[in-house]
Amino acid sequence: MKRVLTAFAAAAMAAAPALAQDNFPPAPPVGTPKPFKLPASDTYTLANGMQVTLVPWGIAPKTVVALRVAAGSLNDGDQTWISALTGEMMKEGAGGKSSGDIATAAASMGGDLNVVPTTFGTTIVMNVLSEHAGQAVALVSDVAQRPDFPSGELARVKANLDRQLSVALSSPGPRANVALARAYYGADNPYGRTIPTQAQLDSYTIEQVKAFHAANFGAKRAHLYVAGRFDAAAVKAAIEKSFGGWAAGPAPLDLPPHPRAGPQLILVDRPGAPQSTIRIAFPAGLAGSQGDIPLRVSNALLGGSFSSRITKNIREDKGYTYSPGSSIGFNPYNALWTFQADVTSAHTGDSLKEVFGEIRKLQGSAPDNEEAAGMRTYMAGIFVFQNSTAPALVGTLATRDMLGLPADWLDNYVPAVLAVTPQQMSDTAKATLPLDKATIVVVGDLKTVEPQLKALPELANVPAQTVTVP
Amino acid sequence: MQTRQWTLALALAAAAVPLAAAQAEPARAGAQQLAIDTQYYTLPNGLKVVLSKDSSVPTVTVAVYYGIGFRIEPRERTGFAHLFEHLMFQGSAHAPKGTLIGTISNSGGILNGSTRFDFTNYFEVVPSNALERILWLEADRMANPVINDVVLKNQQGVVGNEVKVNVLNQPYSTWPWIDLPMLANTNWYNSHNFYGELREIEAATVPDAQAFSKQFYKPGNAVLVIAGDIDYAAAKAMVGKYFTAIPGGDKVVQPDISEPRQTEGKFKSRVDALAPKPGYAAAYHVPPRGTPEWYAMGLLDQILVQGDDSRLHRKLVTETGIASDVDGGINNPLGNMYNYKGPMLWSFSFQHDPGRSTEEITKAVDAVIADLQTKPVPAAELERARTKIRSQLYSTIDSAGRIGLVDLLAVYALFDNDPAAVNRIEQGFAKVTPALLQKTAQEYLRPTNRSIYVIEPGAKPAAPATPAAAPAAPAKGAK
Repeated sequence: MKRVLTAFAAAAMAAAPALAQDNFPPAPPVGTPKPFKLPASDTYTLANGMQVTLVPWGIAPKTVVALRVAAGSLNDGDQTWISALTGEMMKEGAGGKSSGDIATAAASMGGDLNVVPTTFGTTIVMNVLSEHAGQAVALVSDVAQRPDFPSGELARVKANLDRQLSVALSSPGPRANVALARAYYGADNPYGRTIPTQAQLDSYTIEQVKAFHAANFGAKRAHLYVAGRFDAAAVKAAIEKSFGGWAAGPAPLDLPPHPRAGPQLILVDRPGAPQSTIRIAFPAGLAGSQGDIPLRVSNALLGGSFSSRITKNIREDKGYTYSPGSSIGFNPYNALWTFQADVTSAHTGDSLKEVFGEIRKLQGSAPDNEEAAGMRTYMAGIFVFQNSTAPALVGTLATRDMLGLPADWLDNYVPAVLAVTPQQMSDTAKATLPLDKATIVVVGDLKTVEPQLKALPELANVPAQTVTVP
Repeated sequence: MQTRQWTLALALAAAAVPLAAAQAEPARAGAQQLAIDTQYYTLPNGLKVVLSKDSSVPTVTVAVYYGIGFRIEPRERTGFAHLFEHLMFQGSAHAPKGTLIGTISNSGGILNGSTRFDFTNYFEVVPSNALERILWLEADRMANPVINDVVLKNQQGVVGNEVKVNVLNQPYSTWPWIDLPMLANTNWYNSHNFYGELREIEAATVPDAQAFSKQFYKPGNAVLVIAGDIDYAAAKAMVGKYFTAIPGGDKVVQPDISEPRQTEGKFKSRVDALAPKPGYAAAYHVPPRGTPEWYAMGLLDQILVQGDDSRLHRKLVTETGIASDVDGGINNPLGNMYNYKGPMLWSFSFQHDPGRSTEEITKAVDAVIADLQTKPVPAAELERARTKIRSQLYSTIDSAGRIGLVDLLAVYALFDNDPAAVNRIEQGFAKVTPALLQKTAQEYLRPTNRSIYVIEPGAKPAAPATPAAAPAAPAKGAK
């Protein structure tokens, strides 16, 4: 990386005629960051077990009301996307209000009502003008507790999901993600079965939707977050009134995944594709475990930031790609480090070679102090940026709670980041990213791509499986 | 650097919240007014400077907006404005390649840039202690960008990959965001492929870039916005120190970018080899920015496509089941109704199943539009449209990193020489009457002011739609 930068700097300086001779002032110092503290939040539990967190935050007179219920695709069983269909159907009528009534009421408060299903939960969320915070709580409560599930809307809603799925799968990224989940988690469980067949989706009845809701939505699985500017006493009263009578319902489902160890090489053909869509995945340590924070910093240095080594290499030096990056996805049971990029087809092998090279280099030697300090400061700085708005803070808090992290985890985050040593950054890369155990997915023009992959020593002994998606 | 990604960031921010808005307790709906505190002045070299203090979070956002949008890039060099945007990240005389990005990252900040119809912007969100260094970096790349064959070739590769990832390897590719302006407009400046033909991006030379830099990238064609945790006097002193000495350069002469009044409806279709479903998109030319009719058009946008309560959503999604959702807006998806200057379109688009014909869809749309042209909008619906706009405006202003706020201040300084106008946006909407809405719908939502662009799916069906497919589909090779 240094070598590359030096080469570039030399070329750049040589090409800048005499500009450095001018009277341009010298670079001023960058001082020390001011301390940043997240706002205090007020968390309490209703008698039925529902949790509530209130956070005053932000300046504009708006309020986010987000109810997260631990009912997601994890709870689908073999009815893939029944949770997503249920989420969509919840907006079609609730508490005697039609979908039009719900939409009009939400708009009058200054916000849409959205139902967002994910693997571990469904979130019903509104972002409204502050004076309507109490009404928003009531509307979210209707949708969560009293959906009408009008059978006349089911066929249309299923057709919408069908069409959205078909459009999504015509892009290479979603196909790569589906293939990765199947390969890593296996296709016989909700972790690996991320999409239904069209016939399966078409087969769902309104009774199945109602049954899913009845079995999975309840106060014991729910956590309501209210953030922004609002009248706390009035909002608390609205919450008690709207949610106090909700049945406790079941405890959250406990269903750990059983990922498969690599190496695996999964190929999806996309004839004529000008780019290859790549995923490289490794299991990572649990959120909150000892290695968690060092890996986050190490990831930023390796591929998780715009100034990361991989970005400097395959984008800013080689020009193979526009959007490389790596990240760590956490769930309560495990975590997955994933590198992703769309690279010029002809440079698929070259790109992988460079990524492998950067991983190996970090594993082989600790970064120098300057680079390591820069990454620590980067991680500490973007923590401020990432939590500077009410919706973003709700996301952070909900993720913390979903992962079962302690309440003070966010308070300890920045100090923990700043304590990561260069050696730890290297060690965690060694422990987490063993190149001979990678799960790799490539969606691309296989006749161009396969010979390039075969030529890579890292993949020479890994049998490639060509799969189709869907 | 990342046109679409930044648009996405804005879209997400719009789902988000708060800023120096309405400190007073909300008395009643509609009574609030934005009250963003700003200081505004112009340096002798022509650089406009907007400062806005808000110390709620110890970060500062610095943005430089240049009055060069993709519509006025050189002919035979489509995509050049955007390619040049990339070059501005490649180093300057005192901060060689890697320094800008490394400094910002190592200070705990982020940066990005984007190219739009009427400006190109560069911005950083950093801890406030890094402000002076960031101004130094921005001043150096304004005064002394380093452009040579090495960085040009590298970024031609990167931009080529950006076009591939966003267009060439994507279903629908240029539809509707590039296709609609190309169809609806007649003036080359408004109707060329602004993302760029790959061969023209690849043909760009260093002298092209140097000439472009000299012509557009100078203080007299730019706005510098600094918002966040600042001290006004200290920030002014820093701006003076680093930007005053940069030569102002010649005045930028804008070409004629006007569009004639459209008098005949237009229609185009194409087969998209990767698209699995048909797509329907329509665009209408909108009233000139800042006019009473333009505010009315902003409300018509709310009434027609913004939110699940909007009329086209109700018609096309709920009643007829043609679409799953309707995406649309003024200057959508590359911006919002505030951040452009020249001729602009209001548009909407969606995918649908093959069983629904273009004629059926146009008929459904026409019925909704005709209603607006023949009947006044009910008072409650108009009030709801204003509420939605106000709520969105607050979220834009209170977006992560103050990026939405900075964007508004920058464009009102750049185009109107009046960043404080941001505080008066709500007043413009408050003045719109049902009669003006109706008149605006009659003139601007005419079928003869419309361009329809449809996509015919060229993708082979992924799997047979019969139940027999069910057992086979899950997992060839992935047990």
